[in-house]
Amino acid sequence: MDTFLLIGITGIGLGALYFLVACGLSLIYGLMGVLNFAHGAFLSVGAFAGYWFAVKLFPVTSNLSFALSILVGGIAGGLFALLVEQLVIKRLYNRHIDQALVTVGVSLVAAAMLGGWFGHDPLLLPTPTWWYNAIQIGDAFIPVDRLLYIGVSLLMLILFFVILRFTRIGLVIRAGVENRTMVQALGINVKLAFSTVFFLGGLAAGVGGVLIAGYSGGVSPYFSGTWLIYGFIVVVVGGMGSLGGSALAALLIGISRQYVNYYAPGLGDFVVVILLALVLIFRPQGLLGKVAH
Amino acid sequence: MSALLVSNLRVEINGSQILKGVNFDVRANSVTALLGRNGVGKSSTLKAILGIYPHSGKVQLGERDITREQTYRIVRSGIGYIPEDREIFASLTVKENLSLAELDEEPNYELAYSLFPELKERANQRAGTLSGGQQQMVAIARALLNKSEILLVDEPTKGLAPRLVTEVADALARIASNATMLIVEQNLALVRRIAKDIVVMDQGTVVFSGGIENLNDEEFVHRHLGVSVRGH
Amino acid sequence: MLRWKYSRQLLFSLLAFLVAIPLLPVDIFRSAGFQQTIAVALLYGALALSYDLLFGYTGLLSFGHALFFASGAYVSVILINRAGWSLWMATLGALVFTIVLALLVGSAALRTTGIAFAMVTLAFGEAGHVIINRNVGGWTNAENGLPLNADRIPSIFVGVANTHYIFWLSIAILVLTYAVVWWVTESPAGRVFAALRDNETRVSVLGLNGSRFKLLSFTVAAALASIIGVGMLIASGSAAPRYAEANTTIALLLMVILGGAISRWGAVLGGVIYSIAQTRLQDLTQSGFLDGLPKLIGGPLEEPVFILGMIFIFIVMFSPGGISGAYYRIRLRYLTNKSKTPPVKA
Repeated sequence: MDTFLLIGITGIGLGALYFLVACGLSLIYGLMGVLNFAHGAFLSVGAFAGYWFAVKLFPVTSNLSFALSILVGGIAGGLFALLVEQLVIKRLYNRHIDQALVTVGVSLVAAAMLGGWFGHDPLLLPTPTWWYNAIQIGDAFIPVDRLLYIGVSLLMLILFFVILRFTRIGLVIRAGVENRTMVQALGINVKLAFSTVFFLGGLAAGVGGVLIAGYSGGVSPYFSGTWLIYGFIVVVVGGMGSLGGSALAALLIGISRQYVNYYAPGLGDFVVVILLALVLIFRPQGLLGKVAH
Repeated sequence: MSALLVSNLRVEINGSQILKGVNFDVRANSVTALLGRNGVGKSSTLKAILGIYPHSGKVQLGERDITREQTYRIVRSGIGYIPEDREIFASLTVKENLSLAELDEEPNYELAYSLFPELKERANQRAGTLSGGQQQMVAIARALLNKSEILLVDEPTKGLAPRLVTEVADALARIASNATMLIVEQNLALVRRIAKDIVVMDQGTVVFSGGIENLNDEEFVHRHLGVSVRGH
Repeated sequence: MLRWKYSRQLLFSLLAFLVAIPLLPVDIFRSAGFQQTIAVALLYGALALSYDLLFGYTGLLSFGHALFFASGAYVSVILINRAGWSLWMATLGALVFTIVLALLVGSAALRTTGIAFAMVTLAFGEAGHVIINRNVGGWTNAENGLPLNADRIPSIFVGVANTHYIFWLSIAILVLTYAVVWWVTESPAGRVFAALRDNETRVSVLGLNGSRFKLLSFTVAAALASIIGVGMLIASGSAAPRYAEANTTIALLLMVILGGAISRWGAVLGGVIYSIAQTRLQDLTQSGFLDGLPKLIGGPLEEPVFILGMIFIFIVMFSPGGISGAYYRIRLRYLTNKSKTPPVKA
């Protein structure tokens, strides 16, 4: 029973990390139709910024420095995302294939730049002393870092929810996901919503980048590749443009991957792909998606 | 003076010419009906005026040339739009649909709610769960929140149950009494009731512009619209 | 037309020259290292061309093409090493396996279109990579890859002294790929592919089942990739997990964009240039001429991918059509100037 619980919570923790990657991808795709391969770069930029802050600027292994490095990672990811949107995406307005292609280019260039500056070997992110501790829940000992992922993801989910639900720009984003043309035909400059979504997506990815660096033991220029692909799978399974769908799919995929990997080692990723195929065949619009794409 | 002047408007999509040089104008404080068979380019004309479709030619709103403006700027310069098929936001509530459309400092909810009191009661209902008629009311109401120089209305009674057709038609007639409107509509009874001028299109061009009285000519109606006068 | 009237002659002379390279009395041409580099580059050129059938000629932005390249290499090496099949039978086995795989993946993925199709193929491709990397069932030897058992293949493909046979094999595979792609794109089916790319609705209006033609294009491209995968297996001596990586497909995309998706020779040229640039830029940037630069600038410049990525972004944003697009633009200008009178509209 304790093992069962442990794997379950580990799976939720993993799902929380997937959510941080996927929520931005989903909103960016839902609102703008951009398949954003640069999202992995947002992740890396956030992780390296967090690393740089924790090692060079504020080299104290304290809770404060760690919390700040997560924040720095998030802001760096958000600003970088904004830069990419303003510099390249904006100029290819409505050319969806070209936008996807150019984000591939951005991801390559960003990885190469990070590689040139920081080298290709994994760099260890300084984590607080309690990072590898475990706390007892029932009979199970749960690693503390998993709870942190869940907590941070929940905060991010709440932030996104509040912005989408209670602000004017959030209203524009929700409407734009449904029908961008009509939003413009109501006299609204939808480009502000584009920038907002890129910033928020980059923010979540940057935060996720720092946490993933802690989870996987280090940062390197290409460490985000697999995470980005999982992000895409979560987005397709959850339904593109649906924040709730991303959260649900991230949990589902994180949990099922952990359980399968425990009871049938090595088959976890396989099950995720089967899940994806099943969703595509029986519900192409995704679990909570409204429109088939 | 004309509120809207359209000259040599052309639209080409995927290599096929949708509009081949459309010319007409809309008199201020009066309703002009844009008529013609299905697929002759009426809706496309409205979308080109709004800048939703890429186009060439010239579109003038009052004194102002809006041809090259972006859609949201065109709308802000004083055009209200009630699109074909309503295009309300299904996942948003009625209230959210309306507040999304607010542009003026003091949006005119009074007018909207006096025309459609039902919307006030259903403020927190998701628009996707409304009936077709109620959705059309949302689409009309949101176009009335802001003061506009002209309203572009695209087939407002299409697909509605007869009872609702009357309700929507009454509302449009009330709006029309002190507004400038360009309306695409198949329901000739409604057109006769509110319009003073008609513009008839065929195959992407205007083939006739003139007074509403032409609709009394059975032969004219049959030739241009393919329906008989009694039929509607 | 834009096509140069001597282009076919040029193509054949180029081919003849390529074939003759190992026989010419030039030292560099006779070096095994050179022949190996070019052989791999030609195979990437062929792979880029097979990808262009999907991307440029049918408008399918697939991120899973590497899966079929890897399945060609892996299935054939497993059949040769474990089951003791001959090279030719193993190639056929890999081909059949890949076609079945492509039909399965294609029919699931083609339920989506456009950008969603890209995402879905990416996920399936990654699944292949994961299976190979995790050594599922003990078949793939995880990240170490599977070395080809040299005793089981014809001896002409073994040993450094025989590199020129590998070189010729690569040319043969490129020619085969070119011929198949030429034949498919010029056939009535190829016209449907192009129509699907330009305007999907029009195809369905004509009463043709668009998704069936897309699946055909998807499968033909996959079949070609599997044959090229066998070629790469022989050229490099082993099947490596990176063949299945999403980055391999992304590299193919770069090649096609670089050379220009609108023409067959453009895709091949893009593949060859990219492949050579990858290896040569590495040597160049490590040669030390960047040492004087501060790390802020010099660091990224030492990464071959940085330069390739920048070129790629530039082409997508400012020069669609890549190399062959630029060529056709110049040629069009030349033809219009020469004829003096402006072209008459039909």
